[in-house]
Amino acid sequence: MDPVELKILSIPGYFYLWLLTIISLTFFVTRTYKIINILKKAKPENRLDNYSKRTYNFIRYVLGQKKLFGERSIGLPHFFFFWGFVFYATTFWWNLIRGLVPVIPIPYADEVGIVGLILEISGVLVLISIIIAVIRRTFFPPPHLQKSRDAVIILSLITILMVTLLIAQGAKGTIEQSSLSPAGTVIATFFAGMPISGAHNLYSAMWWIHIIAVLFFLAYIPYSKHLHLLTSPVNAFLLNDDSPANLTIKGGTEEITQGSSKWDEFTWKQVFQTLTCAECGRCDRVCPALNSGYKLSPRSILHEMKMHLYEEAFTKEIDKIEVKSLIGGYISHEELWQCTTCMACMERCPVLNEHVTAIVQMRRYLVSQGDVEATVQDMLQKLTRYGNSFGQSDRNRAKWTNGLDFKIKDARKEEVEYLWFTGDYSAFDQRVQNLTRSTAKIFQASGLDFGILYEAEKNSGNDVRRIGEEGLFEVLKDKNIAALGKAKFKIIVTTDPHTYNTLKNEYNLDEALGAHIEVLHYTELIDELILNRKIEIKNKLNINATYHDPCYLGRYNGIFDPPRRILKAIGVNLIEMPRNKQNSYCCGAGGGKIWMEDKTKVMERPAENRINEAVALKNVKTFIVACPKDIAMFQDAIKTVGCEESMTVKDISELVLEVIG
Amino acid sequence: MNILIFIRMVADVVEELKIADDFKSLDIDWIRFRLSETDEHAVEQAILLKEKYGGMVTVIALDAPEVDDALYNALAKGADRAIKICGDWMNFRSPGIAKLFSNYIKDENLLVTQTLIMSGSQAIDDLEGELIYYMGENLNIPTCGIVTSVNYRSDFNLINVYKEFAGGLRGEFEINLPAIIGIQAAEKPPRYIPIAKIRAIMKTAKIEEIDIPDDHISAGKEVNRLLEPEVSGRATMLEGSPDEITAKLIEILSEKAII
Repeated sequence: MDPVELKILSIPGYFYLWLLTIISLTFFVTRTYKIINILKKAKPENRLDNYSKRTYNFIRYVLGQKKLFGERSIGLPHFFFFWGFVFYATTFWWNLIRGLVPVIPIPYADEVGIVGLILEISGVLVLISIIIAVIRRTFFPPPHLQKSRDAVIILSLITILMVTLLIAQGAKGTIEQSSLSPAGTVIATFFAGMPISGAHNLYSAMWWIHIIAVLFFLAYIPYSKHLHLLTSPVNAFLLNDDSPANLTIKGGTEEITQGSSKWDEFTWKQVFQTLTCAECGRCDRVCPALNSGYKLSPRSILHEMKMHLYEEAFTKEIDKIEVKSLIGGYISHEELWQCTTCMACMERCPVLNEHVTAIVQMRRYLVSQGDVEATVQDMLQKLTRYGNSFGQSDRNRAKWTNGLDFKIKDARKEEVEYLWFTGDYSAFDQRVQNLTRSTAKIFQASGLDFGILYEAEKNSGNDVRRIGEEGLFEVLKDKNIAALGKAKFKIIVTTDPHTYNTLKNEYNLDEALGAHIEVLHYTELIDELILNRKIEIKNKLNINATYHDPCYLGRYNGIFDPPRRILKAIGVNLIEMPRNKQNSYCCGAGGGKIWMEDKTKVMERPAENRINEAVALKNVKTFIVACPKDIAMFQDAIKTVGCEESMTVKDISELVLEVIG
Repeated sequence: MNILIFIRMVADVVEELKIADDFKSLDIDWIRFRLSETDEHAVEQAILLKEKYGGMVTVIALDAPEVDDALYNALAKGADRAIKICGDWMNFRSPGIAKLFSNYIKDENLLVTQTLIMSGSQAIDDLEGELIYYMGENLNIPTCGIVTSVNYRSDFNLINVYKEFAGGLRGEFEINLPAIIGIQAAEKPPRYIPIAKIRAIMKTAKIEEIDIPDDHISAGKEVNRLLEPEVSGRATMLEGSPDEITAKLIEILSEKAII
């Protein structure tokens, strides 16, 4: 019963199989070769270091399908799709080689009992998963799911593969019962009474349909969105997961910091990732910009980059009718400026794409053209001139300390253990200065040896960098590093999570200062002080409250527990919002958005949406934050939502100060 | 068109101002300097004209702290030459500066037919905008200040400008070149120049430093003494019913012995 021995028009089956295989592989190889050549033309980036970490990511995100389980309805089904695909792909090559060269003395994969059993089990599970997927797509489509023709084709193909395998097993079952073929045995009952020759023919027909479908699949994949089957495992391996939206491009050239407006001005990784998008819309579902009614959709950013790539790089010169520019044509300026760089999209992306870096890469281009809106320009000029976003004199930076009854050490003049890098908002914003003093009082009360840089501290440049003004970021970084180099300290502690992020991940302090420098957020330090009993908690608060994870503290740097431990210690009964920790919802201030004006009318600003989420919790009247910008954003949101009565924004520092009296 | 822009550095009022020990000048070790705001507009307007009509833009400044930044910035925007007149000009007021600039133009023979001279129409140390008029007088060419729009007509070698007047009035003038105009605001806000571009310019372009002959030019009006602004009293809001307010008002007025 060898299907390739079957003669069609007196030519043996394996001849046809050779023909089909060659056609299919030609399509596959041509396209793959083309893709690789295109990637070679893009800019360099080193993503091939730290193999052990990358292998670990591969296991976690590809083999374990970790991100897929973020959406429960499709998590397990996709897990079965993936593993089904792996088994079927393996047995496909096995069967194909055996079919092409019938003299090889091995059976077909499904003829080996245990392999047949695995194929049957995964076949059934995949079929069930397909039913779930179809029901989800048809009746309960999540918002922003792209219902493309591609998806229908692929689901149909998978169905064909499973059905043909199972029917073939059934056909075999009519001939010979096997305990390793339970599905085959069941299906065989439908074919009861079928003559052996009929069963053979049925088996052969199924074998052929199956293998033709796979060959079609093979040729079709690299031309469709299901390229993600091949590219996403690679993408997972290429992930920089220690700080995924780090804007320092390892192994990148100087020109990459000038930004990109065409596909070959991006790094190969940035180009490659557009080919991994399966258009599932998870990023869109969590994007604060899109959900506020802005035009930006992270999915569409990568999709449009891919469309641009197809048109520019894949189409022959003569076929090009009218070439749309990437920025301004495929992607509008306003979309690029609407991103808060909160990284929610990247957190959710099952194929581990890096939307934020791509967006900043295009912002860099806009900045290089001087194409920034007036308020941002004003801010950048203030930062260039005064080193702070408030356009105030350097000399005012430490003015907030005037309200203290003790003097904070000047780390430039005397040695301290902790160097406190307060950041602009804590130092200059009138609403926040009081909280900065609270933090100072806590540090002082716990006997901490700390100091500040006074006017030598400059804006850290985290947001400047995300606006795309890399040159200014470098200037600010150099100034800060020069100031830090002159100071004597062991550990840096920051107030603003944005400052924290860039000092910790982007300053390369160890190299610049020639010693290992630990960077802490003030919540980490206070947590430590409480654990070490340096902070004496006199009277617990005993209140219900919720806590908002700042994007740059939580998602960017994984600091979820220290703030929660502090809250527990000071007697806060923490009631979590539905979106917490990694899934926290951005306040809308990041990525320089705090300096931009809302030009389009929005449905509900991110901060308002977030406040409403907190208001919906029962018995919660306190909204706790750990970021100075959050204070500004949420205090405003509380006013615009009109819930001043029912909700108050508090910083962790003021609560801690309350309990130490 | 040949555009010459004369720019000035002024004290940055974001910083606290401090009077020097001689009580006649600002303490330049304490204060910082920045390009006068209207000069920034003049540079932008010159670049806009260059982009529209072609030509050559030369930016000229007197030496002052942080002047190099301003000159490099102008070069990064598209100016062709940047010239710094070396010397100590801190005490120079508008008439003296105008003399320096005018002499420079004459010495270098820069006043050819297609020359347009521009500057900011006023500065915080020249609120009346005297500079351009003194220069116009020295050079004996038409002068017009508070300009917000400039167009060039090469066929007649003249410029067409809008000049703002008080009360929202605007006049349109035709001025034959060579001429001198003071820019109040450029047609577009000054553009943003990314730091990387300025850094690149600093590597490739050069600021030409020149010395001018000492012609015993007087600095202009001399300051006798600078004084800190007097702290004025704060406004007090009177609250309550009209009768209460009236009563309080009478009380205050009689307290001050006004009634």
